[in-house]
Amino acid sequence: MSAQTQAGARLEVRIRLPLDRFELEVDFRTGHQVTGVFGASGAGKTSLLETVAGLRRQAKGRIRLGREVWLDSKSGTYRRPEERHIGYVPQDGLLFPHQDVRRNLLAGAARARRNGGRLEETFSSVCRLLELETLLGRQVSTLSGGERQRVALGRALCSGPRLLLLDEPLASLDLPLRRRVLPFLRRVRREFQTPTLLVSHDPAEVQALCDELIVLQKGRVIARGSPRQVLTDPKVFPLAEEAGFENLLPGFLLSSQGATSRVRLGSPVSSVQLTTPRLTARPGDDLLVGIPAHEILIATRLPQGLSAQNILPAEVTSVQDLGGLRLVRAALAPDIPDLAIEVTSQAMSDLQLEPGKPVHLIIKATGCSVYAGREGKGEAREKHENLSETSRN
Amino acid sequence: MDDNALTALRLSLQVASTATLLVLIPGVMLAYLLARFEFRGKSLVSALVGLPLVLPPTAVGYLLLEAFSMQGMLGREALGFDLDVLLTWKAAVLASAVMSVPLVVRTARVTFEGVDPRLEMMARTLGHGRLATFARYTLPLASKGLLAAAILGFTRAIGEFGATVTIAGNIPGRTQTLASAIFSAQQVGNDREAYFLLAVSLSVGLSAILVSEHLARRRPLRASLPSPGAA
Repeated sequence: MSAQTQAGARLEVRIRLPLDRFELEVDFRTGHQVTGVFGASGAGKTSLLETVAGLRRQAKGRIRLGREVWLDSKSGTYRRPEERHIGYVPQDGLLFPHQDVRRNLLAGAARARRNGGRLEETFSSVCRLLELETLLGRQVSTLSGGERQRVALGRALCSGPRLLLLDEPLASLDLPLRRRVLPFLRRVRREFQTPTLLVSHDPAEVQALCDELIVLQKGRVIARGSPRQVLTDPKVFPLAEEAGFENLLPGFLLSSQGATSRVRLGSPVSSVQLTTPRLTARPGDDLLVGIPAHEILIATRLPQGLSAQNILPAEVTSVQDLGGLRLVRAALAPDIPDLAIEVTSQAMSDLQLEPGKPVHLIIKATGCSVYAGREGKGEAREKHENLSETSRN
Repeated sequence: MDDNALTALRLSLQVASTATLLVLIPGVMLAYLLARFEFRGKSLVSALVGLPLVLPPTAVGYLLLEAFSMQGMLGREALGFDLDVLLTWKAAVLASAVMSVPLVVRTARVTFEGVDPRLEMMARTLGHGRLATFARYTLPLASKGLLAAAILGFTRAIGEFGATVTIAGNIPGRTQTLASAIFSAQQVGNDREAYFLLAVSLSVGLSAILVSEHLARRRPLRASLPSPGAA
């Protein structure tokens, strides 16, 4: 199975599954590399993932990857989990406690070899990408939360999966650690190009990783489209906001001086720069900048005498009613995703905001959070976490 | 040294190890079945397995005696040949085995119930079939508890008396185990021999406990797993 043939595999899911409080009813086909399923907890996301993995046999309907039928209740077809060639990463990692990290990583090696994968190559690139080299001999019980998730992800990748199933890969981690592990997931996405179904209630995660987003509420699909578009949909935004929505913008670190860093947003040739709190990443490192929708101010004229470090020219692209609040979208540059900004209806009419209107966006440096993954950074944090975990045990 | 006592000790060890080996594999399979699957008649099977624990051992011995007698279910008339069990060491093995079944199965069942079924699921998503998952993941994860089950079964077999005398008798040098030897010595008032046998029993029992605790400490297998979140 080479990456080339995998990338084209379409996933088709058309299932009904009775759950405790409602029935999960989902119908979608996707050819995107990473498809996200977004929703509050209890929306049926994990059940959906487990059904695709073959772990729930009660589901009726049809599941297909490429030309391979995994489930067809009409013809009575059911492929067992071991026949689906999936890489499943559950929320809690589920590492095998009786094996060390290396043996965990190689738990699916037999299948990878059967499928003709180049295991040694995969293994070493997984170790490099997820920075697992130093963990190989460790017992699972001594790992920190972030390390566990990385090993679980590595184990799935080493098994030569045709489809990755990620269940809230960051949910079990605290916020600083989430910021650190997310870039690992982005690297995996870039380097392995395995088709992926990702379940999450974290707006940052889905924005950073998904090509397409399906929103699930009480077992039904209520919206579908590109992550940015879907998350700022009036039906979905309150959900996203509750889960800590942030505008997530890709960028590069330019330099660090004193207490602040300069970040170039968008592509390396973009002219939009942002001042953030000082970062420990190295100049040239790619990163993601998170800016909550309520942390951005809009001015129609260039303001003066402000403490805020960032005043960026932009253009309003759309305005949406969220009932009481309005969601304004504004473009900084063509190669940067639109920013979502929350304003009151009163401010809306005072400023006469409408599509096409040039504005200035005011962003405090301290209002920005940065997702960067680098060895070195966060190491102290991991060590600290290890300690606190040991003392808890 | 006391020849009689050493013979009894040797026979006890032989009988108990054979009985444990006999019970272990089917017992572990049955325990896994009871721990993981729902099927019709499960509670009946579970009750039957537990029966030797609540019946007087002599009653169990009597039932076995009936089954293996000439006219019994497993006797010469039913089978067409004689298994030649009664009053032999085989009878002692059989009695100890039956008596240790509940302990082995229950301990193994609780152990399997303690192995997170999601870990087995995980193994299957990584390409391992049911059997390979059982052999490579479930058994190693349960190894500590299964060892405890085996040791419990073994010690129960060593201590077996009631069912054994009923079906195997108490023939010195042939079917007289430690337990029945102590009984005989006490009956004829041979205190010296009784004390000696007592000391032997004590050391066997104590070493079994120490060995099992040592093995349990050596490899901490069941590391705590974070519990799965909702949804």
